Amino acid sequence: MESTYALIDCNNFFVSCERLFRPELENTPVVVLSSNDGCAVSRSQEAKDLGIPMGAPHFKYREFFKQHGVVAFSANFELYGDISERITNLLASITPRIEVYSVDESFLDLSELNINDYRTWGGIVRASILENIGVPVSIGVSSSKTLAKLASDRAKKTPALRGVLSLTEQGTSTDRYLEQVPVSDIWGVGWKLTPKLKAEGIHTALDLRRMNPRRTQQLMGIHGRQMHDELNGVTCLPLQRSHKPQQMIMRGRQFGEDTREFYVIESAIASLAARAAAALRRERQLARRAVVTLRTNRHRPGYQQVSEDVRFYTPTADTGVITSQLVRMLSARFNDRLDYHRADVLLYDFVPESGLQTDLFGTVDLPENNRSQARMQALDAINLKHGKGTVQFAAEQLSQSWRPRKRLMSPRYTSDWSELPEVRLL
Amino acid sequence: MDELNEEGGARAYSASRHTGTSVAVHAGFPNPAAERSGIPLSLDKLLVRHPGSTYFFRIRGHSWNRYGVFDGDIAIIDRALSPRERELVVWWQDGGEFALTAFERATRQNIWGTVTAIIHPFGEPGHDER
Repeated sequence: MESTYALIDCNNFFVSCERLFRPELENTPVVVLSSNDGCAVSRSQEAKDLGIPMGAPHFKYREFFKQHGVVAFSANFELYGDISERITNLLASITPRIEVYSVDESFLDLSELNINDYRTWGGIVRASILENIGVPVSIGVSSSKTLAKLASDRAKKTPALRGVLSLTEQGTSTDRYLEQVPVSDIWGVGWKLTPKLKAEGIHTALDLRRMNPRRTQQLMGIHGRQMHDELNGVTCLPLQRSHKPQQMIMRGRQFGEDTREFYVIESAIASLAARAAAALRRERQLARRAVVTLRTNRHRPGYQQVSEDVRFYTPTADTGVITSQLVRMLSARFNDRLDYHRADVLLYDFVPESGLQTDLFGTVDLPENNRSQARMQALDAINLKHGKGTVQFAAEQLSQSWRPRKRLMSPRYTSDWSELPEVRLL
Repeated sequence: MDELNEEGGARAYSASRHTGTSVAVHAGFPNPAAERSGIPLSLDKLLVRHPGSTYFFRIRGHSWNRYGVFDGDIAIIDRALSPRERELVVWWQDGGEFALTAFERATRQNIWGTVTAIIHPFGEPGHDER
């Protein structure tokens, strides 16, 4: 029997979560920033239409936002995580064959469900998530994950499709859609492959689908051959099953006393990164991004925070890689005239560890990655056997002058009794 | 919070939706007899039928004191239920506030969810019970 996959993709997910509790923002341009002074990580359609790019730094756009009435939020990751989990649970009740690909995307394997009409099915699932949970999604259905992803992208960009596109029949209608998709939009075609393909006269998904398979392999290796098969509806990337992985991992600490010593901060960050990375490895995930935040005391005048959002060239769960990147980023922004109060490390945008071997990213240095995995496995094994912290990265020990305290954050509508949304009696 | 994330509730409503049958869910308290197997008794199970579509709101205002509803009470809202006459709903007022009224008084298209219970904690409600 032929396989059928669906991709359920939340539309500008973080913005949609904010709008759930602020319905008056439905037609207002909204952006979510990676942290209080970070960059745009989620944009409403209205914000995109204003030309605000992904990653727009807040400090550069502050005036622009004001002029155009753009509402900016700091990321409320607890809220997004909660809504994401609700969606995952709903989807898992349809079929246990689910792959939670990221915080806002899941694949379902529908092959065994005997669905007659995928377009109707998608419409019902979409309405169910919108009504019961409260966020809009786009759904693409097709015979491979790559095609399902293209279908959901089209569904998102074409209002007339009302959020659902099924490309389950081979033939002209699928071709017509693939013809509109630039080759760079295909899952797995990165910035490295795009020019290579263009030089071959391959400009659209349809071109690639019709390309000589042997040539795709010559050009891009087994990865290219798989992509070609996937575009022709032959599954090469099976579902990556995972046991409800976490979507983000956050570790934060308040310093024992406020400090301006970089070595104390470096040590704290190293330790937080080590704990977050260990949790990440337990989930068999790799992170594509991390945020490190330093704050002064919120209750003292002149409250300030610095925050750095780091994108890893290759997704990683390596304590050493994560720590060194975060510390390097932070040292550039560090101000030694401020007394810092707490540090937070957040890992997010995960991909399954096993996803690397299927070569989704085109840029993975596999030998290096395997070495790193072996190193981390050894570290985890020793710490498991002899207790947490037996083996540490050197930076973790620089200072121990900080201890746990509770995290301070903006409204958490669904995870804190004291921050519930309010409703007025009429 | 673990209880809230249990999958049973989500399965119940979405299963009925996806078989295309109409959704017959009733607001109010579930039949306690249906919970006989739940040991120990779980308030989550009693009050939250559909964990995936249930949200909590804090009630503001004093105008319902005579009905035993007070400022600071917690309203349990289920978005999976279709409200019917004489039931309570939370809806979005164009003025920019969530309002709690009888279904009949709400603007239909602005209804956010159906009230399934209101909890009145005596004294200060628990903070940060996560």
